[in-house]
Amino acid sequence: MAEAAALLELDGMGIAFGGLRAVTDLHLVVHEKEIVSIIGPNGAGKTTVFNAITGVYAPDTGDIRLAGESIAGRPPHKIADAGVARTFQSLRLFLNMSVRENVMAATYGSTKASPIESMLRLPRARREDREVRALTEEVLGFFGERLAGYRWEQPAYSLSYANRRRLEIARALATRPKLLLLDEPAAGMNPNETLEVTEVISRLRDELSLAILVIEHDMHVVEGISDRVVALDHGVKVTEGTFEQVANHPAVIEAYLGRDPEALAEA
Amino acid sequence: MHELIQTIINGLTTGFLYALIALGYTMVYGVLKLLNFAHGDVYMIGAYIGYFVIQWFGGPQHLSIPVPLLVAIMFLIAGLGCGALGVGIERFAYRPLRDAPRIAPLITALGVSFILENSVLLLFGGFTKSYNTESFISPTAGIHIDGAVIDPVQITIFVVSLLMMWGLTVIVDRTTLGKSMRAVASDREAAEMLGIKVDRVISYTFFIGSAMAGVAGVMSGLAFNQISATIGFLAGLKAFTAAVVGGIGSIPGAMIGGLFIGLCEAFASTYISTKYTDLIVFGILIVTMLVRPTGIFGRPALQKV
Amino acid sequence: MSPIGVDEWVAQHTDRQDAGTGWRRWMYTLEARMGWWPRLAIVLVAGLIFGSLSLNSNIEQVAINCLIYAILAVGLNIAVGWAGLLDLGYVAFFGFGAYGYAIFSSDALGTDGSAGVHLSSLVSIPMVFVAAAIFGAVIGLVSLRVSGDYLAIVTLFVGQAFVEVANNVDTGTLGGVNGLFGLDPIHAFGHQITTPKGYLYFAIVVLAVLMGLLHFLDGSRTGRGWRAVREDELAAEAMTVPTKVVKVMSISFGAAVGALAGTIFAAQQSNVFPTNFTANILILIYACLVLGGVGSIAGAALGGIVVTAGEQMVSSPTDAAYLFYGLILLGLVMKVRPWRVLGLVLASTAVLGVALHAIVGAISPAATGGTPGSGGWIGDLVKHWVIVPTNATTYGNILYVATIALVFAVVNVRPRWRPYLLVPTIYVAACCWESRLIVNPSITAQILIGAILIATMSARPQGLLGTLRVEVV
Repeated sequence: MAEAAALLELDGMGIAFGGLRAVTDLHLVVHEKEIVSIIGPNGAGKTTVFNAITGVYAPDTGDIRLAGESIAGRPPHKIADAGVARTFQSLRLFLNMSVRENVMAATYGSTKASPIESMLRLPRARREDREVRALTEEVLGFFGERLAGYRWEQPAYSLSYANRRRLEIARALATRPKLLLLDEPAAGMNPNETLEVTEVISRLRDELSLAILVIEHDMHVVEGISDRVVALDHGVKVTEGTFEQVANHPAVIEAYLGRDPEALAEA
Repeated sequence: MHELIQTIINGLTTGFLYALIALGYTMVYGVLKLLNFAHGDVYMIGAYIGYFVIQWFGGPQHLSIPVPLLVAIMFLIAGLGCGALGVGIERFAYRPLRDAPRIAPLITALGVSFILENSVLLLFGGFTKSYNTESFISPTAGIHIDGAVIDPVQITIFVVSLLMMWGLTVIVDRTTLGKSMRAVASDREAAEMLGIKVDRVISYTFFIGSAMAGVAGVMSGLAFNQISATIGFLAGLKAFTAAVVGGIGSIPGAMIGGLFIGLCEAFASTYISTKYTDLIVFGILIVTMLVRPTGIFGRPALQKV
Repeated sequence: MSPIGVDEWVAQHTDRQDAGTGWRRWMYTLEARMGWWPRLAIVLVAGLIFGSLSLNSNIEQVAINCLIYAILAVGLNIAVGWAGLLDLGYVAFFGFGAYGYAIFSSDALGTDGSAGVHLSSLVSIPMVFVAAAIFGAVIGLVSLRVSGDYLAIVTLFVGQAFVEVANNVDTGTLGGVNGLFGLDPIHAFGHQITTPKGYLYFAIVVLAVLMGLLHFLDGSRTGRGWRAVREDELAAEAMTVPTKVVKVMSISFGAAVGALAGTIFAAQQSNVFPTNFTANILILIYACLVLGGVGSIAGAALGGIVVTAGEQMVSSPTDAAYLFYGLILLGLVMKVRPWRVLGLVLASTAVLGVALHAIVGAISPAATGGTPGSGGWIGDLVKHWVIVPTNATTYGNILYVATIALVFAVVNVRPRWRPYLLVPTIYVAACCWESRLIVNPSITAQILIGAILIATMSARPQGLLGTLRVEVV
């Protein structure tokens, strides 16, 4: 793949909670139109990395740059405005809002109408409203039949699990991101749906020119989508490379399966 | 000098009252995550029960039984009565809302508080009633320190409050019930799955908390003489402040918070102005909340992302 | 596509509902197709017609109060219903508006008997409105450091502090416990509103305009931002919503609306007292919002009107009788099934009463010597049914406690015993009502408000017009 410009750079980033070092000295680069997967056992610090990038936690050391500009320590909504959108592992939809409204809510940062303008339906408010509706339909249309028209007015809590994951992605897309962070997009899905997710992620890159950072446990998904894979363990980057390189790396195998008892005995 | 000592004594007196009420708030918050706004009114009803016990035994001037026995009976009946009332309120109003949105039990609590207060107004009238404590307990007896007095009522309040706090600590720390309460507080569903009878634990919690409020009500009648249907709201609010300042959900926090608020109030009314006492207390609360949003002893809740 | 799944089936639920035939179908489709503004217009016109009918000033006064509480509930809904912030200091904004209007429309700012400031309402009301928005924003900023229940606590204290300030601070200007009086009516350009009817029109128009504006706001980015914050603050923040700004805005908007209600309130009754803004009033406003439906503009307005009208009805013996027996009937019709059981319950209650009345009356005439509190034909009707002794106070008190005990029992017994227990419960409640409750309308009104809060929360937490929300903890 041609060397594109670096979109996201983590430069020696570290985060500690109290005495516990969740992530240590992490260097990570995501280029434009690149799909990078982060793998690692539970508690390896993957979601913490996401939280740091999106501003939920401020990193204690190091820097986070988006298109060359430091975003470390900015409030989450500013980072989202700057072009980083995410989904949540535990699904955090606005459950009592309709599907359409879930997506529309994510356009807050890209619209400007003041409450007064909205109340009086002044021209800017009306124009933005039209734009937001168009964008919503476009974004929801991305999932075709799965989030088809009649579901748009239903509350999000009425959706199935897989559809909730789709809606989370749609909502993230509505922020018009450059970089999309997907936290276990295939968790809890059946094989069919998992396959679909894999396709969707590739399409996101190809059709919307997004750079994507994915946390995923399902190795088929990781294999299917990743340009590059990063393995984390105990908050430290173990290795990085193509799927084959990482999957066969002894430290990765050890992190997942534990040390080979025979090798241990020899040591 | 004696003014300072007297202020401290008076502050501790109200402080213990607030602490006892605050314990109920904090315990209920611990197990149900519910701000039980009706708690102050339970305290008020405790005060009324005490009043009627005095009348029952011949009234303040012509008591038919010795004073210590009377006081003991007042505490006992108010404690049991308010405890039962608390259990009833929980069962009737809060239990159906166990899984309702957070706002529902809160609004219900406001409703219960309204009903309790107005029921007392209806049944016993809007006039303040007087315990006439001085006609059966001498306010000048007791311990004299450098011109300041700890009168017998205050001694009783200190001793009984400390005993009850000690008892509560023992219950919470040492007994099975206490363990169950802590389990329910930290995770109700998990506790239920482990075979803890959650409803029963919650009932006990309400009983203990309300009983302490009832006893505090009697104490307030003895110490301040005047009781009326509206004393519950303000006392509840201040006890609530105490619970929050101490860190709601924390038992030692509620005790220390209560004493702290009581002392603040006493100092404010002695050295600044009685007019502004409440404003100062509210100010303390707001400042505490802003500096340490979870109170002095409260731990910030973990947020899982 | 895949065969029809559960989702589709559920989604088409409304389409499958049979709307009947003929005019019912016609009404149904009309109702379904009508947008929000024709509804608002219909209600507005109905309100204006209601106002133009020659009412007695008493009813007009009740109607004005209803509208003021409707405005208050609509304003409270902004922070509580939309942004999900439990603002228990809302009544302070109401008071702020009332006192703000009072200060600038009376002799309050005058020293030593000089005339003070009498601003035109065109100046004073907008000024108070904006000032309240700023005041609300300050309170909001302060409250930002805390969330959830802690927010409720801090704001509750703000409300209490307001009453304390009104009572104690600068009594020369604010009047202390005596409040401020002799306020100018709403006036501008030499015209002034003096009659209750004038205020009625004014309040109707204000409410309608407010509802329209808020409807637009609800559907705008701001409204979505509020709801997103209510649903999931962290996710909202990650989706570009500046949660802090949005939260402060909701409290500020609510404050402005509350203050607006305050100005009308002050101008209309021409005086303000600290006791007009206590926690009792706060609870009343919450009762309005909760009964109408948290999160719904129309619900809040309806709740304001219904609760306030109900509260005022209690003070008239005739109306109170309608209210009391109406509510009992309504409750029975809604909850007791099948119809046979309902009929039996009603019949046995009637028979029980008549029989008891006859027996007790035969034993001791004094025991049935009192007159029922209800007025009108209901009073005549129940005269030989409820037992009201000559001296009813103690008797009524006992019955009151018995009523509570019986209601408690009805709620807690097994369903199959409920109808049997309902009979004595209704009868005892009625006797208590006739002999004791109706004699104390102000206290009774408060007890009823408390009961409304509890009953709404356990029977229909979404209120009359709200939508049921799910909450994942």
